[in-house]
Amino acid sequence: MKINYKKYLLAVGSILLLGSCSNDFLDHTPTEFISEDAATADTDALYLAINGIHRSMYIRYENQGETGVGGVMQQMDIAGEDLVYTASNGWYGTVYNWTAPSNDNSQEIRFPYRTFYQIIRNANAIINNADAASGPQEDKNITKGQALLYRAFSHYQLVQIYAKRYVNGVSNSQDGIPLILNTVDIVGRSSVEDVYSQINADIDEAIVLLAGYKKPNNSHLDLPVAYGLKARVNLTQGNWAIAADNAAKARVGKSLMSIAQYTAGFNDYTNPEWMWGSDVVEVQTAYFANFGAYMSRNFSSTVIRACPKAINSKLYNQIPTTDVRAAIFSKTGEHPGITLDPAAKKFPYTSQKFLSVSTADSRCDIPYMRIAEMYLIEAEAKARLGAADAAKILFDLVQKRNPAYVLSTSTGQTLIDEILFQRRIELWGEGFRFFDLKRTNATLDRTGANHNSTLVGGVLTVPPTDKRWQWLIPRAEINANPLIKQNEL
Amino acid sequence: MRLKFKWIFSLLVALSLQLVSAQEKMIKGVVSDETGPIPGVNVIVKGTKISSQTDFDGTYTINAKQGETLVFSYVGKNNLSMVVGSSSTINVQLTSDSNEMDEVVVVAYGKTTKSANTGSVASISSEKLQDRALTNVLSGLDGATSGVQIQTSSGQPGSAPSVRIRGFSSINGSNTPLYIVDGVPYTGDISAINSADVESMSILKDAASTSLYGSKAANGVVIITTKIGKSEVPKFTLNVSQGLSSRSIPEYSRVNASQYYPLEWEAIRNSRPMGTQAQLDAANLYATNNVATLLVVNPFNVQNNQIVGVDGKLNPNAELLYADDLDWEKQLSRTGIRRSSDFSYQGRSETSNYFVSISNLKDEGVIQNSDYERTTARVNINSKFKEWFRTGLNLSGALSDSNQAVNGVDNTSSFNNPFRTIRYMGPIYPVFDHNADGSFMLDGAGEKIYSTVRGAQASTGRNIVYETLNNKDIDKTIVLSARTFAEFKLLKDIKFTANYAIDKTSINNSTYTNKLIGDAAGIGGASKSDYVYTGVTFNQLLEYEKAFGSHNLSVLAGHESFDYETTYLTGTKRGQVVNDNTEFINFVTVTNLDSYSRNYSTESYFSRLGYDYEGKYILSASFRRDGSSKFAKENRWGNFWSVGAAWNISKESFLSSSSWLNDLKLRGSFGEVGNDSHTSNSGLSYYVYQPTYSLGYDNGSEGGIVANGIGAPNLKWEKNTQADLALEFSTFSNRFSGTVEYYNRKTDGLIFNVPNPLSLGLDNRVENIGSMENDGIEVSLNAMFVKTKDFSWDFNVNASTINNKITSLPQEEIINGSKKLKVGSSMYDYWLRDWYGVDPTDGYILYVSDPSLIVANDAEQRVVNGVNVTTNHTKALYHYAGSSLPDLYGSFTNTFKYAGLELSVMFTYQLGGLTYDTNYASLMHSGNQYGSALSTDILNRWQNPGDITDVPRLDVNRETQNSAASDRWLIDSDYLSFRQANLAYNLPNNLTDKLGINSMRFFVNGENLILFTKKKGMDPTQNFNGTTQNRFSPSRVISLGLNLNF
Repeated sequence: MKINYKKYLLAVGSILLLGSCSNDFLDHTPTEFISEDAATADTDALYLAINGIHRSMYIRYENQGETGVGGVMQQMDIAGEDLVYTASNGWYGTVYNWTAPSNDNSQEIRFPYRTFYQIIRNANAIINNADAASGPQEDKNITKGQALLYRAFSHYQLVQIYAKRYVNGVSNSQDGIPLILNTVDIVGRSSVEDVYSQINADIDEAIVLLAGYKKPNNSHLDLPVAYGLKARVNLTQGNWAIAADNAAKARVGKSLMSIAQYTAGFNDYTNPEWMWGSDVVEVQTAYFANFGAYMSRNFSSTVIRACPKAINSKLYNQIPTTDVRAAIFSKTGEHPGITLDPAAKKFPYTSQKFLSVSTADSRCDIPYMRIAEMYLIEAEAKARLGAADAAKILFDLVQKRNPAYVLSTSTGQTLIDEILFQRRIELWGEGFRFFDLKRTNATLDRTGANHNSTLVGGVLTVPPTDKRWQWLIPRAEINANPLIKQNEL
Repeated sequence: MRLKFKWIFSLLVALSLQLVSAQEKMIKGVVSDETGPIPGVNVIVKGTKISSQTDFDGTYTINAKQGETLVFSYVGKNNLSMVVGSSSTINVQLTSDSNEMDEVVVVAYGKTTKSANTGSVASISSEKLQDRALTNVLSGLDGATSGVQIQTSSGQPGSAPSVRIRGFSSINGSNTPLYIVDGVPYTGDISAINSADVESMSILKDAASTSLYGSKAANGVVIITTKIGKSEVPKFTLNVSQGLSSRSIPEYSRVNASQYYPLEWEAIRNSRPMGTQAQLDAANLYATNNVATLLVVNPFNVQNNQIVGVDGKLNPNAELLYADDLDWEKQLSRTGIRRSSDFSYQGRSETSNYFVSISNLKDEGVIQNSDYERTTARVNINSKFKEWFRTGLNLSGALSDSNQAVNGVDNTSSFNNPFRTIRYMGPIYPVFDHNADGSFMLDGAGEKIYSTVRGAQASTGRNIVYETLNNKDIDKTIVLSARTFAEFKLLKDIKFTANYAIDKTSINNSTYTNKLIGDAAGIGGASKSDYVYTGVTFNQLLEYEKAFGSHNLSVLAGHESFDYETTYLTGTKRGQVVNDNTEFINFVTVTNLDSYSRNYSTESYFSRLGYDYEGKYILSASFRRDGSSKFAKENRWGNFWSVGAAWNISKESFLSSSSWLNDLKLRGSFGEVGNDSHTSNSGLSYYVYQPTYSLGYDNGSEGGIVANGIGAPNLKWEKNTQADLALEFSTFSNRFSGTVEYYNRKTDGLIFNVPNPLSLGLDNRVENIGSMENDGIEVSLNAMFVKTKDFSWDFNVNASTINNKITSLPQEEIINGSKKLKVGSSMYDYWLRDWYGVDPTDGYILYVSDPSLIVANDAEQRVVNGVNVTTNHTKALYHYAGSSLPDLYGSFTNTFKYAGLELSVMFTYQLGGLTYDTNYASLMHSGNQYGSALSTDILNRWQNPGDITDVPRLDVNRETQNSAASDRWLIDSDYLSFRQANLAYNLPNNLTDKLGINSMRFFVNGENLILFTKKKGMDPTQNFNGTTQNRFSPSRVISLGLNLNF
C-alpha cells in the first residue's frame, strides 16, 4: 500500500476550501417584508405605507368579529339603544349587555384599543419621516396629511371610548388616553384636554398639507374629510361654531344621494354622498370578518341567519312612512325583494340598510363619513347656537329622504331633539350612537322597545353617571405600561 | 390483508421445501456458559447460508457435513468455531467477551463505548421498537429513559409527539431537541422514518454530549441511526401487523337533556329580580315561558312553555322525541384499522454492506375522514474500495397521503373542529331535523336533513357531522433524504471524512369546504398550499486517534455549513361550478393567492479532544464556533464549549476483583451551548433582527405595507450552561444496575417576546431578557428480579424531577397570559386571580380582594370568615397559584420472559403539577352560553341560602364574574398512564428449523391503553405548559403482528 498521500491531502484541502462558506452565506433578505427604513425612504414608499393604513381599516384583527374599524362601529351601535339583537348571539354579546366595559380582560375592550394604536403607529412612521423622504414635496404633503388625519381620528375614537366625556367650558383635566406621537416612547395618559388639543392640531396641519389634493378614490382622505373630522371632533367638544363652520366647508360641492341610491344597500363607496369609505375587492376579502358578515341582512352567516340586527321599534315607529329610511328596515321582517338564505330566521324591524354582495359573499363597502352627517352636525351646532338657519339645513337633508317633509318650525331644545332624532335614523348602524349618548350626557334607555331583557342582561337603562361609560383600559396595557392608570373599576 | 397472509403462507411453504438435501447429517448439542445453557445463540455453518439458533434449553440442531466448521456467536460472548467430526453431538461452552458491558453508543460526530463516554447518553435499540405499533418512531422514546418528557401525539394518525429533554431552556424560543439522522441534522418530517429501519436512538442530555452540536443542541439531541447490513448471511426480514384503534381518553361528564333544560331555566330565573314573592313568581313564569326560545330547540313532546314548570322541574310528562339522535360523537367516531407491513433484506461482505427496506402503513383515526398512509423505501450501501477509502449512500424516501381531521391543536375554538363542537354541543340538539312527531324530516330525495338551527352557543348554523364528512383536508407529502460520505484514511491514525446530506420535504395540502353548510355555505371553496422544506448539510471532519501505551488520544476537527429554505405557495378560490370536483378550474373567484420563501443558514467550526488512561480515567473537551443568519452581523457568532471527565472506578485494582461489583463509574461534565431556535421560524423569526414592514396589505389595486416587527439588532445567542454529575453502577452479575444523575441547566440571555404596551402599536418585541435555571435529579434503575433457565423478570424504573427558577430579569416582572415572570419564581408558575369560593348566603362567586382596590361602602366587597373578598373579578387579588411543572415524572416497565413468551408492560406517570383546564371552564358556564353543554359538576351549584358548595349560582348575568380566569380552573395534573403492553412469542427452534427459517415471532401490542387522571376527560399530557385544547386525543391501538427472519 504505497500511496502518495500528498495527493490525497491536496484533495482534502480542496474539499475543505469548497466547504468554507462565502461571506454572505449568513445574510438573507426576506421576501415577505421590507425593511423599516425602506418603508419611509421615499414618497413611493410613503404611498405604500398610507395605503397600508387604508387597508388596516378593513382587515380582521384578532377574533373573527374584529372586522377592522367597521367592527368598532358595530360595537358603538350595539352598546346603544337603537340597534337590537333579535335573538341570542355571542358576537359582541358582552358589549350589548355592557359587561365588557367593566372587564379588563375582555377582548371587546382590547380590540378598539389595540386597533387604533396600531393605526397610530403606522401613521407616526409617516408623519415623522415624510419630511426626510426623497421625492416631490406634494407627495410628502399628501401622505403626511392623511397620516395626521389617521392619528387624529384614532386618538379621537380612543378618547371617546376610554376617557370621561369632554365638557365644554371647563378644564378637562380628567385622564384621557396615552397620546402617542412617535413609534418609540411608552407614555401614560394625557388629560382629555391635551388629547383634544393634539387632535385639533393634527387636523389643522393636515388641512394645510392636503389643500388641492385630488384623491383617486374614497379610501383616501382629502380636505373635505379633514374638515368633516374637524367638525365631528368639535361637535363632541361643544365648540358649536367651529363644528358648524367645518361641516359646511366639508360638504362644499357635494350632493346627497337619491332615494333610489338610498335603498341600494350602502355598499358602494363611489356613492356621491360618501366622503370616506373602504372598498373590499375579492382577493382582499376577510370572509367572515367582513363588515357585511355581521351588518348586512342578506349574507348567510350564522349570526345573520340566527340573529339579524333590528332597529329599535320605538324609534322605527316614529319614522314617517313616506321617509325612505323607513324602507331600509322591514317592519314584518319578511324583506320582500331581497334574496335571503332559506334558513334565515325572520324577526320584525330587521335592517336591510347594508347588503353584501350575495348570500355567499360577505363583502360590503364600509362608510366612515358621509355628507349627511355634515348636514346634521351643522344643523345641530347652529341650533345649539340659536342660529336662524339651523332648521333650513336640516330641511335640506331630510327633504331628500322624505319628499313630504316640511320645514320645521321648532326652535331651541325641540329643534335640537328633532335633529338628534334625524341623526339616529340617518346614521343607524354607522357607529355613532354610543358616542352621541356620551357626548350629550344622555341616559341609555332601551325600555319600551323590542329589546329582550334577558339578551341585554337586564341592562335596559344606564344613567350618564355610570362608570361603564368609560371602558376599562385593557389588561395587556396595564401589565406592560407602568405609566398607565386604570379607570374606576 | 387476506391476500398478504396468503402470500406469506405460500412463502413459508416454498421455503420449507428447500430443506431437502443429501449427505448432510444432523448435528445436535447444547451451548452453555459458566451459568448454564444459553438460549438464542447463533449457529452457522461457515461459508454457507445454513444457520440455526439454540432454543430455551440451549440446544440446537443443524445440518452440516463432516469437515465443515460451525461458528457459534452470541452477544457478549467470544465467537467459537468447531469443526464437524464424526460425532453428531457437539456441546460447547462460550466464554465472556471482555468488553461485555461495553455497548456501542452513538454520540456527536461518531461512536464511542459506554464505558469511555463522559456524557449523559441514553440509547434505545431496535429490539425495543420492533413489536410496537408506532406510526411515528419518536413515540418509542416515551418512558424509555429518565429526563425526557413526551407529549403524546394527537389522535391524528401520523402526527408527531413533542419531545422535551430536561425541561425547557427557552421561554419563547424552540424547546425542540435537535434530530440527527445518520450523523447529520435532519430537517425532514420525522413521521417519514419507518421505525423498522431504525437501528438505535440515542438521547444526548448533557453538555459534554451535545456541545459539539453547538447552537443546535441547547435542547438536547436525539440521534437516530438507521440499519446497515450486518449479517454475513443474507437475511430477509418480514414484519406484518394489524390493529384496531379506539378513543383512549374519555369525554368529560356532561349533563343530559332532562337535566339541561331545568338548569337553563334556573339560570334565566336567577337573573330576574326575586326580592319579593311577586317578583319571584314573575321570574319563575318568565323563565318557564322563555327558556325554549333561548335554547331554540325543544326535543320534548310537550309545548315550549311547558317543558319546565314554574317550580323549576322538568314536566313529568315530558319525554324525548328522538333520544337516539342526540349523540353526535357516535355519528363520527369509528374503530380505526391500522395495518403495517414491511420487509427488509441485508447482507455484508468483506468490502461492502447493504440494507434495503420497503414498508407500507395504513392507519385510520378514530374519527371519520382522518387517516394516514405511508410508503417508505430505504437503500443503504457502503463500500470500502481501498484500505484507505470508504464511501456510502443512504437514500430514503417516503410518500404519505393523509386525510386530516380538524385538530384542536391549531383550531381549538373553530366551529369546524369536531372535538370542540361535539364536546360543547348541548344535550338537547339532534343531528338531523325532525317533524313534530319526532320522526325524521326528509327532503325531496327522501334523505334526512342535517339540522342547523340551535341555541346561539351550540354552533348554530353549522352541522359538524355534515361538515366533517363533506369537507376535505388532505396532505400529500414526499420526503426524500440522502446521506453520503467519503472517508479517507490519510495516515495510519488520521482519517478525513466529508458528509453531505439533503433532506427535502414537500407537503401538498388541499382543502375543500362544502357548499351546503359551514364556512363556504352557498358557494363552496377550495384551497391549495405547497410547502417545500430543503435542508442541506455539508461537513468535513478530520480525526486523529492514537494509543501511546496506556494512553489513548483522539482529536476531531471539523467544519459544517447548513442551509435551509422554506418555500410556500397558497391559493384559495371560491364559487364551485360543478359538484364533486375540487380542482381550482372548477371554482370561479380567486380570494387569496400568496407565496413567499424564507432562508436560514448556519456555519460552524468545531473540535473535540478525547483522552483516556487505561480506560480508567477519561477526559473530553470540545469547542465550537457557530454563526447564525438569525442575528445581526455583529452578534452572529457564538462560542460554545464543554469539558467532561469520567472515572471507571471498577477498573481500579482494588475493585476489579470484586465478586459482586461489575461496573462503577463516576462522570461529570460542564459546558455551554446556544439556542437560536434552529429551523423554527415561530420559535425565532428568521429575520428577527431586522425592523420590518409586511407586504400584502394592499388597498384595492394600490400596494400597501404595515409595520410588522420592531427589529432586534442587539439580539444575541441564548446561552445554555449545563452541569452534569452522575454515578453509574452495575452489580451482582449485572442483575442490578442503574444511573443516578444530577443536572443543572442555566440559560442566560433568554430570548423572549416581551409584551409591549398595546399603545405602542406592535404587540411584542424580542429581547434577551434574563436568566433561568433548571435543575433536577434523574434516576434510572434496572433489576433482573428473577433469572432462571425458563423464566426471567426484569424491572426498570425511571424517575426525574425538574425545578425551574428565573434568576434575573431586566424589569421587575413580565406578565404573560396566565403566567408572571419574576425573579425567584418559575416560568411555569401560574399568576391568577385568587378564587375564594362561593358565598353560602347568596351563591355569589367570591375572590380574595385586592387590598389596593378596596373602598368604603362598595357593594361588591364583603367580609367572609374574616377575609376581604369581592364578587367582582376585576377587584380580585392576583397571586402565584402553583406550577404546571410536575414534582416527579417517569416510567416503569416490567418484562417477563417464559420459554418463548415475552411480556412487557410499561406505565408512565406524573406526580404534581397543575393543569389550567379551559375545556372544563367552558363546561361550567353560568347558563348564558345558550345551548352549550354543562359539566355534571354544575349539579352541585348553589341553589338555596346555606348551601355549601364551590359552584356558584347559575345566573345568565353573572357569566363574566363566574368564568373569569382564576385558580378555580386549576386541576391536579397527576396521572398514571398504562402506556403500552407487549406480548410476544418466539417459535421454538425445532419448529423454525422445520420451516427453514431463522426465527419467527408473533406479538400483540397495545399502545395508550388506559389513562388515569384526577378529572375525567382531562388530558394532562397534552401541553407542557399546563393548558388544554379541544384536541384530537391520542388513540388506543391494539395490534397483532408477525416478525419473520430467514
